[in-house]
Amino acid sequence: MRGPARLGAGVLTDSSQPLAFVFDGKSLRGLAGDTLASALLANGYRLIGRSFKYHRPRGIVTAGPEEPCALVELITAAGREPNQLATTLPLREGLVAQSQHRWPSLRFDALAVNDLCSRFLPAGFYYKTFMAPAWAWEKVFEPLIRRAAGLGRLEATVGDHADPAEIVHEHADVLVVGAGAAGLAAALTLASGGLRVLLLEQDSILGGGTLLDARWTAWRERAVATLRASALVRCLARTTVLGAYGHGVFGALETLAPEESVRFGGVRERLRVIRARRVVLACGAIERLIAFPDNDRPGVMLAGAALSYLRRQGVTVGQRPVFFVNNDEAYEAAFALKAAGVPVVGVVDARSESLAADRATAAGIPVFRDCAVESVSGGAGVTAIGFSKLGGPRRRLVADSLLVSGGHSPYAVLATQLGAALRWRESIAAFTPELDPGLGVVAGAARGIFGLGRAASDGARLGAQVARALATAPAAVETPFPVDPPSTPLAALWEVRRPGKSFVDLQNDVTANDVRLAHQEGYEHVEHMKRFTTHGMATDQGRIGGLVGCAILAAARGIPVAQAGQPKPRPYAQPTPFAALAGGEVRKHYRPQRRLPLHIWHAAAGATFVSTGLWLRPLVYSATPGWDPVLEEARHVRQGVGITDVSTLGKLEVSGPDAGRFLDYIYANTFSSLAVGRARYGIMLREDGMMLDDGTTARLAPNQFVLTTTTANTATVLEHMEFQQQAHCGRMDLLISDVTDQWAQFAVAGPRAREVIAAALPAVDVSNEAFPFMAAASTDLAGIPGRLFRISFSGELAYEIAIPARHAVEAWQALLEAGRRWDIRPYGLDALNSLRIEKGHITGAELNGNTSAADLGFGRMLKKQGDFVGRILSQRPGLLAAERLQLVGIRPVDPSRRLRNGMQLVDGASAQASLGYITSSTPATQSSGWLGLALLSGGRARLGQHLVASSPIHADHPAVRVVSPHMLDPENARVRA
Amino acid sequence: MSAPERVARFAGVLTAPWSAEVVEIAALRGGTAVLARFGASRGEALPALGQVSLIPPRLILSVRPGRWLVVGPAEAAAGSPAARAEIWRQGAQGCAAVIDMSSAYAAFLLGGPPALEILARGCRIDLHPREFPPGSAAATVVAQVPVIIAALPFGMLLLTPSSTARHFQEWLEATAAHFGPPARLSVAELFSGEVAIPAR
Repeated sequence: MRGPARLGAGVLTDSSQPLAFVFDGKSLRGLAGDTLASALLANGYRLIGRSFKYHRPRGIVTAGPEEPCALVELITAAGREPNQLATTLPLREGLVAQSQHRWPSLRFDALAVNDLCSRFLPAGFYYKTFMAPAWAWEKVFEPLIRRAAGLGRLEATVGDHADPAEIVHEHADVLVVGAGAAGLAAALTLASGGLRVLLLEQDSILGGGTLLDARWTAWRERAVATLRASALVRCLARTTVLGAYGHGVFGALETLAPEESVRFGGVRERLRVIRARRVVLACGAIERLIAFPDNDRPGVMLAGAALSYLRRQGVTVGQRPVFFVNNDEAYEAAFALKAAGVPVVGVVDARSESLAADRATAAGIPVFRDCAVESVSGGAGVTAIGFSKLGGPRRRLVADSLLVSGGHSPYAVLATQLGAALRWRESIAAFTPELDPGLGVVAGAARGIFGLGRAASDGARLGAQVARALATAPAAVETPFPVDPPSTPLAALWEVRRPGKSFVDLQNDVTANDVRLAHQEGYEHVEHMKRFTTHGMATDQGRIGGLVGCAILAAARGIPVAQAGQPKPRPYAQPTPFAALAGGEVRKHYRPQRRLPLHIWHAAAGATFVSTGLWLRPLVYSATPGWDPVLEEARHVRQGVGITDVSTLGKLEVSGPDAGRFLDYIYANTFSSLAVGRARYGIMLREDGMMLDDGTTARLAPNQFVLTTTTANTATVLEHMEFQQQAHCGRMDLLISDVTDQWAQFAVAGPRAREVIAAALPAVDVSNEAFPFMAAASTDLAGIPGRLFRISFSGELAYEIAIPARHAVEAWQALLEAGRRWDIRPYGLDALNSLRIEKGHITGAELNGNTSAADLGFGRMLKKQGDFVGRILSQRPGLLAAERLQLVGIRPVDPSRRLRNGMQLVDGASAQASLGYITSSTPATQSSGWLGLALLSGGRARLGQHLVASSPIHADHPAVRVVSPHMLDPENARVRA
Repeated sequence: MSAPERVARFAGVLTAPWSAEVVEIAALRGGTAVLARFGASRGEALPALGQVSLIPPRLILSVRPGRWLVVGPAEAAAGSPAARAEIWRQGAQGCAAVIDMSSAYAAFLLGGPPALEILARGCRIDLHPREFPPGSAAATVVAQVPVIIAALPFGMLLLTPSSTARHFQEWLEATAAHFGPPARLSVAELFSGEVAIPAR
């Protein structure tokens, strides 16, 4: 398409591919290769949105991610996405965007009244204005301010619509950030030295500044072709480095091109986590604004942006542009516009001498030297500008755009994050970073080397320096580069101080006067000024005006800018969607699941699963909610026989000549005396004397033990044991192997368990004499070599059989088959829990990290002789105090009342202080009513007492009786049957 | 119909779960030398830490000091891994723990040009052939679960705990799906580079 502002072909646009799009309800046309901003400019749009605080009309200011004003809402099928940057948003067919932060319309915005009241709304006004009454802040003032302010509106509810994202890990010898002249030259040099190079460019194509100068086309195309052909180089466009994290780690956000997004199932963003040995920061410089009254009017733009739109998309930002500059680089836009046939009204240059100004004059462009722009006319768009010579009369130029350049600030964000010092350079009136050579180099415009030729030479030279530091010999890069035109240095100009609003931060509506107010109120440090005024915050981080604000603060303080410094930027360097940080680890992939070897069998048997840690375990073999199916399973175990899957138990093999000695040290009780073929219950303490874990350990051979841990503690116990082995038992000769996943383990429990095991293992004598309680043996089940233990968690006669997990189904079915005669039934975690509560066995609810062995009734298990982990601290007075919370059983006085986990135990209904709480509770399997385990202050001395179990949130306060935790078979007759 | 093709030339993903048997050998004090001699006598050299010995169709890898995993195709006999463990147990003469871990690990094979791109979506270590050439092995975390990676001549062997195998397989297949149609491959193909790809 052609329009008054579309002058011809751009480097990026394809005039054969028109695209239709909608802005504020109006159908418009653009071209493939346009951004939304260039397409709007091509359609003659200047007013794009309203400002944050004063609701002033705003247009497009820049042509890149540093844009402060042109934020729009994107309307997609999935909803509204606020704060999308028109300057980087690629145009696509059917795109629908809307201006934001205005009501009722962009042209007429009711809240523009703020602008008229602005003298009452200076920076920080609400901190002072809304002090009293205090209650009104939360209820009135803050909601009002939030409604008036804010950048964009979020959807009220966010559905399951977030675009998928992914995280990719990258490695390189050298990361090159920025593919402009310096970055391309550095990458070529590094690759020629045989180094692996990762070249990242935030733009949609490689080239940076070389895309704006036709003399560089041939060199750029050769360079890019060479890099793309190299197996050592990866070039990624649309990828912005978000942060430098030290140790060679960088984060970068890649926005996928539409065709790649389709290929990757709709992935829109990709977070690249990069690890590199060195970095070359060739990320260029950012043109800055000049503060003068009304420098925010639509049509006031940066000069470099005008050049960019002209070269890249063939769009002119105005038909009658005026320039206001203090440097020679900005003249390139004037020359380019003039060459494209746009009548340049004139250049207002703050300097008296300039080689570029001389060239402009020779080319017929009027140059007004020693002058400064003082005013801008036009509300919704520039109509004229006023300027004057120092002390001279004001002159007026009719214009439709004002293209400003206050110089260029090297982009030092990443270098600063790496700890680079900033050095003030008077010749460019900017800070340049000085990076530790051990980390890498800063090259080209990013360190103040302006001009494409000089930047390319700098990149090649520093690339070679990095290559040599990594012990490779680079080849020379193709030279000479096109020669930069001679130029005159800039003259620093931060502000033209005249009455009116002179903005230093267009996104947050911060004016030069706001900065001076900060100083006046004592916020003298740049970091304080930033927080007082909000200068340099939000999506653009105040890139184009950051240094200007600092310079104005420095002037107010009467110190040089070099001394005032500038705020230190933290990651992220640009707005980053949470979705990209989460990557693919969302929803069902949020964390991995561990599955039992029998998972499919359990599911087919109708199990309801529960997550315990990462494991999915069968809770109950029924879809019916409530206690009935659980109690049915539990009672079947008490009266007949049941089978349950306990494969999640941690299993560790400890072997070697010192295995027994080591276990004596790890456990609070003794294991070296355990006979082969026997198992023993053990308790493990932490260094601080508290209980860490419990479980049974069996001795399978003189030098081979297998111990079990609670499901939740497997990793903790393994880590603890490995630490103790390495730190304190270095002289012992033993090995620890985690065999949790190797073995499936099933418990067969109930009065009929012996018959089932005898039928399943006909070769084993399972009589009480031959295989008593706590026996262990290796055995075969259905021809599969396994292990048999006589241990019980349920309180019933029970056996546990361990089988290599890949044979789990065969073994389980063999046991079911053997138990068919006795109606063996599977039982789930809930039934197991009911059984163990009744028996008084502990799990994670009681092993909660705050309980000692004595608290849980194991005080007498601590061995008297020999050292063990936690021995000394388990004897500290605090752990022996009589009033500690001790394990007891709890029964309601009225059997019809229920118990709840977490009920507080109090002495009488009116008592205020809790004496303890119920850790686990269940309906009894053998009698009516509920029972529970509790941790009760001085509990063992309270057996028989009546207390109240209180759950205020349920308004439930049953009277309870304190009983022994062993509420079933305290003599252990059943397990020894 | 199938046509042999080089793994490296196949423009797609090659992936398969592999039914492997795994035996862990862990040396007690002074055991490394005994084990090395025994391994050498069988033509099964124990690799150094971070390395793989390729003994087609088996391999031995080491990702922990003084420990090795002998990985090979599962054989039909039910007692096969235990029998292999017993051979090493005898050879170790009491100076090593030898444990059948065939049920503890699930093995996956991954080949084809996009293999590294796929793994880069979950794996933090550098698998570029320059840093991780065939014959390298490492223990790391991929897609949040522990994974042992061994670089074979023409692809990767991935071992993950069997309880997380389902999660890992879902991740691997979902990630690989973006890189072209998957084809199955065998460990022999990763050793030889010859792979039978269904003609398309």
